[in-house]
Amino acid sequence: MPETLVIFRRELKSYFLSPIAYVFGALLLVLLLFFSTQTMLQQGASADMQTFFGLLPLIFVIFLPGLTMRLWAEESKLGTIQLLMTFPVRASHLVLGKFGAAVLFLGFVLVLTLGLPLTLGAYGKLDWSPVIGAYVASLLFASSFVAVGMFWSSTTQDQIVAMLLSLVSLIALYFLGNPMFVDAITGWMPGWMVDAVAAVSPYKYFQSIARGVVDSRDMIYFACFCGFFLYANAMMLRNRRQNG
Amino acid sequence: MGDGMINRTSTTFRSGQHGGVLAVVAHVLLLLLVLGQIVYLASRNRVRWDLTSDRIYTLTDSTKSILAGLDKQLLIEAYFSPKDKLPVAYRETRVVLDNFLDELVQLGRGKVVVQRFDPNSDKAISERCTRRGVKPIDLRGGSATSVSVDRHWQGLRFVYGGSKQKVLAQAGPQSPSLAEALLTPAIKEVVTTDKARFGYMEWPSVKPNQGPGVGWNTLRTLDAIAKRYEFENFKNEDAPLLPDDLGTLFLFRPENLTDREKYVLDQFVVNGGTLMVFLDAADYWIGERQQFGGKNQMVVDAADSKKTFADQLRHYGIEWKQKVLADMIPDAHRPRNPAQPQEYLAQVENTVFGRRPVAKTYPYFFHAVNVDWSQVADQLARDPQTKQVDQDLAAAYRKQFGAGMPSDEFIFAPFKKINRGPGFYWPTWVGLRSKAGGEPDLPEGVEGRVHLWSSPAVLVADPPQNLNPFGYGDARAQNEAYLKFITKLNERFYAEPRQQAPLMAEVRGTFRSFFAGDDRPKRPSEIQEEEAAAAKAAKAADADEGDKPGEGEAEASPPAEVVGPEPPEAAADEPVVVAEADMVEAGSKAGRIVVIGDSDFVRDDFVGGQYAQQGGPVSVLGGAFFNSLLDWLAEDSDLVALQSHVATDRTMQFLGDATPGADPRAIEQALTAKLRWLRWLNVILPVALLSVFGLVVFSVRRAQKRAFLESVA
Repeated sequence: MPETLVIFRRELKSYFLSPIAYVFGALLLVLLLFFSTQTMLQQGASADMQTFFGLLPLIFVIFLPGLTMRLWAEESKLGTIQLLMTFPVRASHLVLGKFGAAVLFLGFVLVLTLGLPLTLGAYGKLDWSPVIGAYVASLLFASSFVAVGMFWSSTTQDQIVAMLLSLVSLIALYFLGNPMFVDAITGWMPGWMVDAVAAVSPYKYFQSIARGVVDSRDMIYFACFCGFFLYANAMMLRNRRQNG
Repeated sequence: MGDGMINRTSTTFRSGQHGGVLAVVAHVLLLLLVLGQIVYLASRNRVRWDLTSDRIYTLTDSTKSILAGLDKQLLIEAYFSPKDKLPVAYRETRVVLDNFLDELVQLGRGKVVVQRFDPNSDKAISERCTRRGVKPIDLRGGSATSVSVDRHWQGLRFVYGGSKQKVLAQAGPQSPSLAEALLTPAIKEVVTTDKARFGYMEWPSVKPNQGPGVGWNTLRTLDAIAKRYEFENFKNEDAPLLPDDLGTLFLFRPENLTDREKYVLDQFVVNGGTLMVFLDAADYWIGERQQFGGKNQMVVDAADSKKTFADQLRHYGIEWKQKVLADMIPDAHRPRNPAQPQEYLAQVENTVFGRRPVAKTYPYFFHAVNVDWSQVADQLARDPQTKQVDQDLAAAYRKQFGAGMPSDEFIFAPFKKINRGPGFYWPTWVGLRSKAGGEPDLPEGVEGRVHLWSSPAVLVADPPQNLNPFGYGDARAQNEAYLKFITKLNERFYAEPRQQAPLMAEVRGTFRSFFAGDDRPKRPSEIQEEEAAAAKAAKAADADEGDKPGEGEAEASPPAEVVGPEPPEAAADEPVVVAEADMVEAGSKAGRIVVIGDSDFVRDDFVGGQYAQQGGPVSVLGGAFFNSLLDWLAEDSDLVALQSHVATDRTMQFLGDATPGADPRAIEQALTAKLRWLRWLNVILPVALLSVFGLVVFSVRRAQKRAFLESVA
């Protein structure tokens, strides 16, 4: 555990010392808040965060590959991964440290959006519990996408390749849970397969929590989803370490 | 040799690499299998927490209590075509329905049985469910070359105890709360064995040259109401006393009440009955092209009536002022849904989206607002010119004014959540009898309260001939007439003192008869009988006198003319007049009188949307309020929790209550400016915070670097 914390601290520091993280954060916030506020802040509109949390997954799909592409690919490209591999730490500690730092950084960015619910609360009766639930759901959703992005970053030395692989995966995962897409594939796929495909997407589970219902099934899904990709990531590193 | 070694090493390395990759793949697949099992097991044994404050995803006590009270089996036949063939939108509603039915079975403890049928699988099933009233959902599909119609089913049939049944032809609830709102009343309907009985008397509104009058039939005959409540008309020209077993009597806008009718009502409440009165100050109507018309004041008392109905209500503790009210606070006449301005008054105008109804301020149509008006005393006491607050006046207002919806009765709970009562149309003043200082002055043994109040910006006036805001000219003339109408109201508003008008009042207790000490008013048949008897006696007396010698001239004179109805010809044909119970002067059972200062909001034309096409008004919440009112009067608490299961109104208001009469363009400008400012603040501030944080980090970092370099140097 202390090893994980060391990696975590080092990664977190690197986020806050890198101008790219600030540019990333600022762009994400501008896009997300600009489009949300145009719809949400209207006279007579309901004081709820549905628009914001409806837009957030799509913004994550676009931005997260940019954040996760460098996590391992940059280390490989700069050769620092060799150094990391010589550390007396397990691959899982390395993965968890990097994953935790990325999620915390995203949490920091999400905290900066709290002004919007505060504004809604000032002018209407905002139901805070589902909003808090939706922020937690957003973090879980972001975690699952970070796990996927990290996994792809560990498979290649090229950041652009890592980003493209992540982007394609995240777009696929996003649309698999999107009712419009599911409706479109219903015609040419057996119903059980449609259900199975839709059940893979974190987006579906995110929607469930974001509307204000915490379901043990959704939480277990997110834990399993992240666990699977983090495990696969650790396996990749272990394999690399074994093969020199 | 060297090459051979290199080759061997390379092959070993490559096979080692392949083995590693295979191991990774095997590990990953195994993990995927394990995780899949965990997710599957988790979905079988799930725990849910509903975070919403309205508990919109949780079953209410209504459903639980109805299911707990089942003493026979409730069979639910679900006619569902396979879920995997449904379009996504319907598939989600199926998940909601399946979950809800599962919960019903769990809560029913063996008394609820769900049977699922697929009508698409068997023609016999599809015919049976069609016969029972379940309707298919036909959706068109197809490709570039063909068109097909897919038939889906999602209907329910509830059977209780093998006899009573209810069918929901198509059910597609989008959320658990909607499923509950749809299914629980249906269950309640089939498990209810006895209908509550209500009596009513109505005096329909008759427009000149417009055929039969408009009454209050629509709501009474609504399926959801008629299945649970029975209405019996007790309006009778002979006005007999009401039966003892009648609990509640509705009076819809009484008119031309005779003393006898008032006596009947009096004895009803004195003997413990519940009287529910919908009153109006005047009979107004809306003609074609929104041309408003009306008769003057309602003639509530018959011409030969010695006692007025207003005095009668006053005797029981209800104060009715036959005045018409207009609420000048914009919030009080803002339609609930901005997309449906017809709720109050709108005019169809050319807009950028085509011809659409545009809301028009008409303060005679308004609702009680769920605001404690004492909190806005400063705003009300502010001089519109100088903007100075008169502190003494503000203090007086704080004392004088109260909440718009002070009642904690369950019927108001869903309305409080949306911050407003039902919309009233040309309402009248109905409050509690009070002393000069405003203190309630109720009869001994009677308690009373006002459930709904207007805002303190109400105008109270004798009902004019009509309240037509648009006049009768062309579009331009109508606009001018409307502006004049509003200007006149605003002038009155600034000239008159602020006051709050009561809109709905209730008194309960043991009432003393309004007719105590007087003679009992007789039924018309009784009077007729007495007159006939008197005429008969007079005739007999005449005959007796004629038999006397020397009075033969009387025989020649014509029979005395009888004033009034023709006396009965023969004793055998005489109507049998049942002897009536003596007047009860002081009640021993607690009676109840509820009076609402409007009858239009539940009238057929307003509820049925007769004026919707021409811009309203349409009583949007009248039906819901009437339904709740019935439950309240019948003291049926089963669906109470369900009714309060309404999402809180979370509508945002970026500007406070606009001053009555303020320029709408100025309000619009202020609103736009505020919204623009808020939007930019919400976008810029977080980015600025992030940038400042970054700058601080860089400054610290640079200082550390400089210090390090200096130390090295």
